[in-house]
Amino acid sequence: MIALLSRRITALTVGLALLLIAGVSVGQRPPPVLPDDEVLTPGRPATTAEAEAPGSLAPSDVQAQPDAEDETGGVARITWLAPTAEPPPDQELKGYRLYRATGDGEFVGLLEPVTQPDTIEEPGQEPCLGTKVSDLWTWHRYRFKVAALYGPKDDPAEVEAKEGSRPWYMQGQPESEELGQWESAVLVTEELSESASEALQTRADWYRSERTNVLVGMLVFSLVVVWFIRHARSGKEIYIRPIAGIEAMDEAIGRATEMGKPILYVSGLAGLGDISTITAMTILGRVARRTAEYETPLLVPCVDPLVMLAAREIVREAYVDAGKADAYREQDIFFVTDRQFAYVAGVDGIMLREQPAANLYMGYFYAEALVLAETGSVTGAIQIAGTDADTQIPFFVTSCDYTLMGEELYAATAYLAREPMLLAQLKAQDMGKAALALLFGVSMVAASAAAFLTAASNTEAAAMITAALDLFRPQ
Amino acid sequence: MKIRVPLALTFVTALVMIAVFFTPHRLGSYVQSELSDWMAVIGGLGLVLGLISLLQRHLRKIAHRQQDWPYSFVTVASFLLMAVLGVGWGVQDESVFNWIFSNAYLPLDATMFSILAFFVASAAFRTFRARSAEAALLLTAALVVMFGRVPWGQLLFEQSPMVAEWVMSSPALGAKRAILLGVSLGGIAMSLRIILGIERSHLGGDG
Repeated sequence: MIALLSRRITALTVGLALLLIAGVSVGQRPPPVLPDDEVLTPGRPATTAEAEAPGSLAPSDVQAQPDAEDETGGVARITWLAPTAEPPPDQELKGYRLYRATGDGEFVGLLEPVTQPDTIEEPGQEPCLGTKVSDLWTWHRYRFKVAALYGPKDDPAEVEAKEGSRPWYMQGQPESEELGQWESAVLVTEELSESASEALQTRADWYRSERTNVLVGMLVFSLVVVWFIRHARSGKEIYIRPIAGIEAMDEAIGRATEMGKPILYVSGLAGLGDISTITAMTILGRVARRTAEYETPLLVPCVDPLVMLAAREIVREAYVDAGKADAYREQDIFFVTDRQFAYVAGVDGIMLREQPAANLYMGYFYAEALVLAETGSVTGAIQIAGTDADTQIPFFVTSCDYTLMGEELYAATAYLAREPMLLAQLKAQDMGKAALALLFGVSMVAASAAAFLTAASNTEAAAMITAALDLFRPQ
Repeated sequence: MKIRVPLALTFVTALVMIAVFFTPHRLGSYVQSELSDWMAVIGGLGLVLGLISLLQRHLRKIAHRQQDWPYSFVTVASFLLMAVLGVGWGVQDESVFNWIFSNAYLPLDATMFSILAFFVASAAFRTFRARSAEAALLLTAALVVMFGRVPWGQLLFEQSPMVAEWVMSSPALGAKRAILLGVSLGGIAMSLRIILGIERSHLGGDG
């Protein structure tokens, strides 16, 4: 177990360190240079040699460039010159459609038409139209063409088209048979540009250098955790302050056992992907072990079916571990509804009908927190809550006998299990908080000093302090 | 095997998600989006199991005529009615399904929400009795904030909104941020415990 854990910690630390090293090196590397034959000419000359023949209904001079503002490598900017010929009297230009070819493949039309392209006017260059194309991959080379779309003049359906519905059906394509179900559909004629853009291959950064401070913080905190785990493994005792709410759980379970009434366990409204719900599940395992020992009924109404499945498995394991597999009742862990106040109504009904002796609320809660806790208070049950939802903590403090505030919820499992490795994590958290408090103090002094120096016209020193403080600013 | 495979999956997925956080490459957002889709699919399958659980629980109560079984009958009947209407005639705006949802479910939902106002009053009454120094401080702060948030508070004392705002933005916000910092560090530590497999009781094993 310990060898496996060490391997995992090493793998995680090495992975993060490699990410940092790779990030720093990639972040500092200049952008790769395209071969000469692939270099794209920035901007557009005043006269274009490859313009379509005068009087053409098709767009011309299609150019593709990586989007300057994009760092994902998925976006390119396509520009083209508008058609120079007038459309037939009963027709008008409805918009444009981009065609894309991957590598040396065929050109495929993109679904969404461009009804309102950007107009790009730069000094000394011919005005052109443009739009952005996303969903590109850095390992492909793309070529683009642009088609002008012509349709009936003054067709009212055009209005719908501009509002973003899917009205465009290319004349002669099989989809046009479905026009009946699209009131806003417009039959259009496409005039495709003869020449395609130069091949474009976008590039992206692999590392967000602005998040280096987060990565460094993570690594440092992880190392502190690892150090405390090693410290705990050496057998030295770790002191954890008593948390009244956790100690009261045994009292609550004992009270329910004496009264012969069930315990109600509510695991919040969040899904299984939420850290507070996972914590709620771990606490449930501990509670279930005690209820199994005393054979006290445990009711777990769930708002999420996946949480219900996890809860069933955890409680079943706890009953098996306690040697009371026969006492396990799967039907006591059930799905109520995924609607917030319908769930509240259901759980309130259970409280009033079943009259549980203890109500435990662990997890993430929203506005339902007070309704649940006040109803529980009316029934006279002993109530213990634990949540990391800072907006709901005051309500639980008001209505419950004990409340685990914020991080105390996460500490509950370590506290209940009393395992050295879990307790070591709590100490690491305390160290993290102490470090943050120190950092806040230093930052406050530094920020005040910067303000003072600015007032004293020593802007250079103030700028240095501000730059140092910016290193800790999250991006 | 039952524990090791989920632990390995957790470890690998966590590494991928950490990498996604630190990369701007489109591949990162693509992986994130794909994983979200997987979660939605799994959630959809889970809903079926949830509905089976719901029906089993209430049908059992009806069959055994347990206490308050008529409520279970109403639940099952409502469930079946909405399922038949939704599947049979659709859920579009003009449908019967939508009419029942808008005219029965939503008012009931709003009613439950509105009960909150009364519970706030009863909770405040119970809490704001100055039985100790802390409770007296709480009561005073609450009165100051309430006074600053009602029109006649400003009428009687012009500075009251400013004082209320100061209470909310300085001492209250300071305490709130302290809790949030603890939550953040606790969340990171808990995540590490789960990623490294130290915490495994949520998988049904020893934690």
